[in-house]
Amino acid sequence: MTDLPRRSGAEAGAAVAVRGLTKVFPVPLHRQSVVAVCDLNLRVEPGEVYGLLGPNGSGKSTTLKIILGLVSPTRGRTEIFGRDSTLVDSRAAVGFLPENPYFYKYLSGEETLRFFGKLCGLRAAALQKRVDELLELVGLTNARNRRLGTYSKGMLQRIGLAQALINEPKLVVLDEPTAGVDPAGSRDIRNLIVGLRGRGITVLLSSHLLAQAQEICDRVGILANGLLVREGRLDELLAVENQTELVLENASDRLIDEITAVAAKSNARVLAHRTSTTTLERLFLDATQGNQTGSTSVEI
Amino acid sequence: MHAIRHRAFSFRRVYAITTNTLTELTRLRVFYVLLIFALLLIGSSIFVARLTFQQEFQILKDVSLGAMSIFTSLLAIVATARLIPQDVEDRTIYTILAKPVPRIEYILGKIAGVLLLLLISTIVMSAMFLAVLYAREQVLLHETARQMSAAPHEQLEDALRGVRASAWNVNLVPGITVIFLKACLLAGLTLFVSTFATTSIFTIVVMVFVYFIGHLQATAREYWLQEHAATWTTRIFLALVALIFPDLQSFNLVDDVVAGAAIPAALFAKTAALGVFYTTIYTFLAAFVFYGKEL
Repeated sequence: MTDLPRRSGAEAGAAVAVRGLTKVFPVPLHRQSVVAVCDLNLRVEPGEVYGLLGPNGSGKSTTLKIILGLVSPTRGRTEIFGRDSTLVDSRAAVGFLPENPYFYKYLSGEETLRFFGKLCGLRAAALQKRVDELLELVGLTNARNRRLGTYSKGMLQRIGLAQALINEPKLVVLDEPTAGVDPAGSRDIRNLIVGLRGRGITVLLSSHLLAQAQEICDRVGILANGLLVREGRLDELLAVENQTELVLENASDRLIDEITAVAAKSNARVLAHRTSTTTLERLFLDATQGNQTGSTSVEI
Repeated sequence: MHAIRHRAFSFRRVYAITTNTLTELTRLRVFYVLLIFALLLIGSSIFVARLTFQQEFQILKDVSLGAMSIFTSLLAIVATARLIPQDVEDRTIYTILAKPVPRIEYILGKIAGVLLLLLISTIVMSAMFLAVLYAREQVLLHETARQMSAAPHEQLEDALRGVRASAWNVNLVPGITVIFLKACLLAGLTLFVSTFATTSIFTIVVMVFVYFIGHLQATAREYWLQEHAATWTTRIFLALVALIFPDLQSFNLVDDVVAGAAIPAALFAKTAALGVFYTTIYTFLAAFVFYGKEL
């Protein structure tokens, strides 16, 4: 048996610490090689939702795979809760959902969770209890005995998230968690992620869907060609320092004029004045919600 | 929930992967091969019913044990070849290895699942074969007793003993055991090849070559040693060839069994040990390659 997890060194306290990480993939039969990640440094604090953003091929998935010990780094070091992530036991408190997972099509939803639970050392009544809880959490209780081959994309993603949570992890790593999922399914997954943060679970996710990342991430790092080009708190990165938004309800034209005049007296300027709009996603969800027989709302 | 302490090696995790692999192979309906075996068995037993009883039992054993050898080998190669590439393609391997599961446990679980499948298949095929053998034996004993009802008692007993001796032979057990071990060896080697192959088709093609070379290599080795002086370098080279292409012909004890000859205990022990040795070596070679594999 090994002790878990042992925090050490300068990165003690970080949920994930990446230092000087470089990954070079040699290209067979070619002299050149591909640099997927270059001298990456990042730190994910416990309890936060960290988004690793970037276009396709920017090195997001490679970084996550290195953190999970699935790929070995060319240089640098990655740690999970202070423990070298190349060690198997560093993953005892980690859950992972890969991009577009298929799982075993021949297993039912319940069998899938039981299998992953056994891999995490759960047994008997504790395993059954956890499986029931998670099926309830992801809204798949009614589909528990259906084989995964018959699941929709959104259902697969939700069962994937459930298996990632089977061992009550302290860190959940999600690779493109809403890729290919319809807006309703995407919203369910987003709610689940927000729920994880509410329970103090650290979430590290990769995405190229910026609007979604903006809604749920506390901090983001932007990768481009394997380099970390921006990093910081989302509100700080997005703030336009010398501008303020004011949203009014039932404001008359006269009130708007008065506000504009008051602003001018203080050397401020009203830059835009427009009717508020909803988002296309909100419109889509409102229009389709009544007809969604397969969709399940999720509360955490 | 209490935090679960991680064990560096856990038989429970290996067992979970083993049962899952067996479930996977079962639900993929690989057991259909047993149905083909049953049809072959019934067909051949109808055909041989027109021959003398010695010929009948000999052909029945020849066909059944030959089919058992081919089907278990086929099952070992085809079932094992797809396991790792399929897990990589479906990304299931990421979710498994992102759990605290050492790679050696994954490999051991996979091979154990296939070996369990081969064991079940061998037992079912043996049971079907022995049931047909027993049924034909009973029919022939009954017919012999009827035809020789007027003959002296001792003559009848001799005839019945002759029928029994032609049917059941204790050497069938080591013969079938060696067939099973040959399939285990092929499963181990297939798993090893699949750790560096990118597709299951490639693995199957390589294994078909290995299968044929493995059956021919003993003859080639004897020829080589006759033509060249047996220096150390020659012996090392031949040992390496033997490791890559195991001498599958040495697992062919079926001819002796069919002929009714006894299998010496030492020969059986040596062949069985060779089967276990090769299976173990290939499994650990697979684990070694898989340990450094970028997923």
